[in-house]
Amino acid sequence: MSSVERNNITISGNGSRPMIFAHGFGCDQNMWRFVAPAFADDFKVVLFDHVGAGRSDLSAYSSEKYGSLAGYADDLVEIGEELELRDAVFVGHSVSAMIGVMASIKAPGMFESLVLVGPSPRYIDDADYRGGFSRAEIEELLDSLADNPMGWSAAMAPAIMGNPDRPELGEELTNSFCRTDPDIAQEFARVTFMSDSRGDLPKVPVRALVLQCRDDIIASEQVGEYVHRHLPESQLVLLNATGHCPNLSAPDEVISAMRSFL
Amino acid sequence: MATPPPPEDLEDLYEHAPCGYMSLQPDGRIVKCNATLCAWVGYSHDELHGKRLHDLLSVAGRIFFETHFAPLLRMQGYFDEVALDFIARDSTKIPVLANAMERRDDQGALLFTRITIFKATDRRRYERELLEARTNAQTAQRELQALNATLETRIRRAVEERLQIEESLARERQLAELREQFIAILGHDLRNPLASLDGGIRMLHGENLSPQGERVVKLLQGSTLRMSGLIDNILDFARTQLGGGIALKIEDDVEVQPVLEQVVDELRTATPDATIETEFTIPAPMRCDRIRIGQLASNLLGNALAHGHRTSPVRVRANAADGEFVLSVTNAGEPIPPSTMERLFQPFVRGTSGRNQDGLGLGLYIASEIARGHGGTLEAESTAEETRLTFCMPLTGNPVEPD
Repeated sequence: MSSVERNNITISGNGSRPMIFAHGFGCDQNMWRFVAPAFADDFKVVLFDHVGAGRSDLSAYSSEKYGSLAGYADDLVEIGEELELRDAVFVGHSVSAMIGVMASIKAPGMFESLVLVGPSPRYIDDADYRGGFSRAEIEELLDSLADNPMGWSAAMAPAIMGNPDRPELGEELTNSFCRTDPDIAQEFARVTFMSDSRGDLPKVPVRALVLQCRDDIIASEQVGEYVHRHLPESQLVLLNATGHCPNLSAPDEVISAMRSFL
Repeated sequence: MATPPPPEDLEDLYEHAPCGYMSLQPDGRIVKCNATLCAWVGYSHDELHGKRLHDLLSVAGRIFFETHFAPLLRMQGYFDEVALDFIARDSTKIPVLANAMERRDDQGALLFTRITIFKATDRRRYERELLEARTNAQTAQRELQALNATLETRIRRAVEERLQIEESLARERQLAELREQFIAILGHDLRNPLASLDGGIRMLHGENLSPQGERVVKLLQGSTLRMSGLIDNILDFARTQLGGGIALKIEDDVEVQPVLEQVVDELRTATPDATIETEFTIPAPMRCDRIRIGQLASNLLGNALAHGHRTSPVRVRANAADGEFVLSVTNAGEPIPPSTMERLFQPFVRGTSGRNQDGLGLGLYIASEIARGHGGTLEAESTAEETRLTFCMPLTGNPVEPD
């Protein structure tokens, strides 16, 4: 199967240099809708959904392949090969920041630089390392996902019906955005929050920009600094934005930080 | 005097509404909330001011809120019916449903986010029961699918077996036709020329022949007799091997002695240099197949003549007494080696020491089949002095039907 269908790849923009955006745990490529258009004049903009999210081909999902982040990184490399990406800019949010880190090591030359938005190489505290969560807290998250998928996900569909205030978010949004198969969501959460990719950071062969929010409960400033310190070549920018999704809450700040980095 | 009831005004509606209200600054901190919410979570207005929504959620709830609902709120400006668990001051969990809406200024800048909260304890319980029911239904469905799968496999196997049986039946039928053709060819095409040969020899008997001619005719007669016996044996063998079995035509009141005498006469004629002694004591007629008993006797005697020393006589004894008919044929000669003895009644077993090597090795096999067909036995003993084959059958037993 082509990764174009499998990962619901959409390509836009007028530039020749590719910029590929990867969404994190929770939603889909719509996460980039306030950021990606800003680069359409200068870049060939590539968006995709991870298998299991958005409008990806759910039949391509297998617990075995996607039982670790490496499966997602393999997909990213396949997408890059199919689209013949060279010297691309990779922009990854949350867990996808680390998926991009892994892909950059697997496929040298595919990416020229990485933009990592709210990255965390490990969410669970470990000795002196402060990931922000105890193992018990993550277990509770995984249990609650198993316990209440109706509250978490099935009920999402009616929740996003209609959109009187922002008609530009058309119908396609109501059908896919933040909607996940409960079983897949549970497995993706486990893979994400149990992951430990700290060892990959020093191996990244390209320069990177770390965009860190204030007051981010998912990836704290401390974690952002850790990523910055362990990458061979990186810039750390502390945004004024709060929360975990500056691409939605403060797109302008994200765009200008990216522009000055590029 | 009673105090007058408080006036129904907006201020009071906000504070004591049957739902919780909360407004967040753009940075997510609580700027305003109502008394209903304060009472639910066990914090005062002052304590809640400056807290973030996160602070009222469990860690798991925070993560999920931040990765799913916060983006949703940013994307569409509101969310409806989001299920959350608030954690009260005393650590109890309060399941709620929350609606949220962003309030923006004319330039689109976020002013604050308003959240309305409804208790949903019963609803959550109901959802959980639904979920359980769904899980059970899915389990039952999976079990059903598994059952169907094994059922399909079983049906497929049964059909395959059935097909195999039908195929082997068809093969069986083909084989039976082949057998009938083969037997017909043997019986008809081999016997006819033999019959005309035999007829010709009989005609020569009436002619005036020289002594040399007489001797040659006798030899020819012996050869046709032996050939006829061989054809009979081959036919019978073909029938038994191809599934037909040896056919018996059992009759009551068969006089066996004349049958045996005729066999002995024929073989005497065919082997003039041999001596055959007979001793028959058969007081009453028997129930048997006349022709087959003759064939059995002929095979045993032929075998003895082929392998016995010419210097000693071949003795044929038959007697019927005590409910049993016993026929034995004895000859002197080399003993049958033990290795041959084991397979003596199997087809195509041929002796190695006899002078006559042109038999097919079917005689004793056919004889034993005939014995079996009559519910009797055929046994062999062989010593340095003599070799004896003994056929026993019950006088009143039911003959065995061929397989």
